[in-house]
Amino acid sequence: MNKLAKFATDRRCTLLGVGPVSKNCVDAAIELSNEYSVPLMLIASRRQIEMGKLGGGYVNNWTTESFAEYVIDNDKGGKIILARDHGGPWQHPGEVREKLSLRRAMESAKASFEVDINSGFDMIHIDPCIDVHSQRTVDEILERVYELYEFCYRAAQKNGRDLLFEVGTDEQGVTAQDLDQFEYILSNIIEFCRSSGLPRPTFIVAQTGTKVMEMENVGTFDSPFRLRRELPVEIQVPRLLQICRKYRIWLKEHNVDYLSDESLAWHPKLGIHAVNVAPEFGVTETRALLKLFQDNRLNSCADQFIELSYNSKKWEKWMRSDTTKRTIDRAMIAGHYVFADPRCVEIKQEAQRRLCGIDIDTHLRNEVKKSIYRYMKLLNLLDYLNKGSA
Amino acid sequence: MKTATIILNRNLPDVTDRLYEAIARNNEGQTDIFVVESGSERERLSKYYTYWANWEESLENGLRYARGFNYGLTKLFEEGRFKDYDYFFLLCNDSIFEEKPIISTLVKEMERHPRVGILSPCSEEWGERKLLKNNDTKYFWYINHVSWFVRREYIESIMETENPTYMNFLYDGENFRGYESDIELVIKGYANDWASAITTKVTVSENEDLLYTQFKAMRTDEFQVNRGKLVVEGKKWIRRKYGFNSRWTMQLYAKFFYEHFFEYYPQLVEYKL
Repeated sequence: MNKLAKFATDRRCTLLGVGPVSKNCVDAAIELSNEYSVPLMLIASRRQIEMGKLGGGYVNNWTTESFAEYVIDNDKGGKIILARDHGGPWQHPGEVREKLSLRRAMESAKASFEVDINSGFDMIHIDPCIDVHSQRTVDEILERVYELYEFCYRAAQKNGRDLLFEVGTDEQGVTAQDLDQFEYILSNIIEFCRSSGLPRPTFIVAQTGTKVMEMENVGTFDSPFRLRRELPVEIQVPRLLQICRKYRIWLKEHNVDYLSDESLAWHPKLGIHAVNVAPEFGVTETRALLKLFQDNRLNSCADQFIELSYNSKKWEKWMRSDTTKRTIDRAMIAGHYVFADPRCVEIKQEAQRRLCGIDIDTHLRNEVKKSIYRYMKLLNLLDYLNKGSA
Repeated sequence: MKTATIILNRNLPDVTDRLYEAIARNNEGQTDIFVVESGSERERLSKYYTYWANWEESLENGLRYARGFNYGLTKLFEEGRFKDYDYFFLLCNDSIFEEKPIISTLVKEMERHPRVGILSPCSEEWGERKLLKNNDTKYFWYINHVSWFVRREYIESIMETENPTYMNFLYDGENFRGYESDIELVIKGYANDWASAITTKVTVSENEDLLYTQFKAMRTDEFQVNRGKLVVEGKKWIRRKYGFNSRWTMQLYAKFFYEHFFEYYPQLVEYKL
């Protein structure tokens, strides 16, 4: 906490959570945080990074243990905050596929959290909002939050470690969150922590009207117009922040990918404490890879990669219902999900053999760095003197 | 207490006449009603029209809401009738109200809130409804102009005094389509000790279909095209006038004066969001 709190109180900034969507993305985040001495959160979803017992995640075939080891070893200045994003029951695809019962899903979530904590994660996002069996009430979800919160705290205590907590859910929506429900959830969690003698959460997630579809942010945050029955973001964001101040907790906004420079630059000014960005960095890397193939007439490599990515169907969840996107766009959206696929590794090796003077991964890492840097600059994370230097 | 209701029309006489008749029917003796023809064609004037902006430019482009309300207010001012009224109910013709007296309710609410300059009925379609109980009034820093009940004293504290015209009486007519112009009036209000409020004691709904289906009759652009121009022009206006490069700066500006208002009037803090 000290690392984040000190940094965030020394300057008016919005902290950045980077989704570890690929090895190059992880390396880019580590390099940038160390180059600029800025703490960055690597926010791993359970799809991306998972404990070995559950078969790991799709990113670089890393397990939680090997991912944490890699980051800790390479983060020379200790700038990275290792964070679990959306931990909780049925947040791993296997738990959904097998339609685990509540008890089994909670056990699986706890086992995953325990490995996170034992592997050196600094921050845990508890999000038990998914239930594959039925719709649950807010109070039922809160009960699950309490159970997981206490479990994680005790696990960290056993390891003699401090742990930061993030609570709440984003439930990606175009629209903003109901303020009364938000305050109800927050006040109950704070009261639970107080009565149980547990540390308060550091962050709460709130839906401010950001939503990623295809390769753009279609939420209300970037929109100058109001939506029917929705509180204008001009009122919603200050009200959310007012509630957060009342309970002395930081607001974390998810799904911030692709927001305009104007909107991002306003985040620190508005006082939004932190944001998460993930798929945009994956798309950046895929776009750079395809451009590299195209620029160097590696057409068969490009075709093979597009086919592999498109056939993965990982683009499906990101598409609008009335989408008109072409195969290439869909491949662009799904690219980072197949980077660790042996066929993709082969395609890149073949391309590397035919390229002179260009190291593919160095090139891709630099492109992702530019993309992360845009956020660091606009969120006021950089020292003023370094602002123009990348 | 006397109220002047000003309804803007452009080429939609049936819609405007219906609104006129509803206001007259439900608020007998409570208000004088003026219909401003904001660049309508001769054959599309409301049968109740009072003032007709019919110079070439207005016929070509219309006046839109900022210049239109300015025009109506200027005419009343020129005719020496402006001071006859304590309140002005400034209505776009797509406003629809319940079938009940509303003017007396709005006047009473203004009397209960002597520091409110702008009072807007709430719409069931607005998210702001969630922040208000039934029969409730709260002060906001962000209110869109659909139907504003405005106090004369407030107008007098911010209006153009030297050479009032349809371009500057209340609204800044330089911002033709009026993106963020309503927020500018809210800001000017708080900067001069006048709050802006939304009440659920009167509800309004907007007939948005008109913008989709009647844009040709209204001689405006198709809905999405008009929206695009609205924002582009509005942003240029904000930058030119204030040096602000973002609508968020405008919001921060509004919020600043909003917060200060309650420092001066702590007794009104119960109406703060």
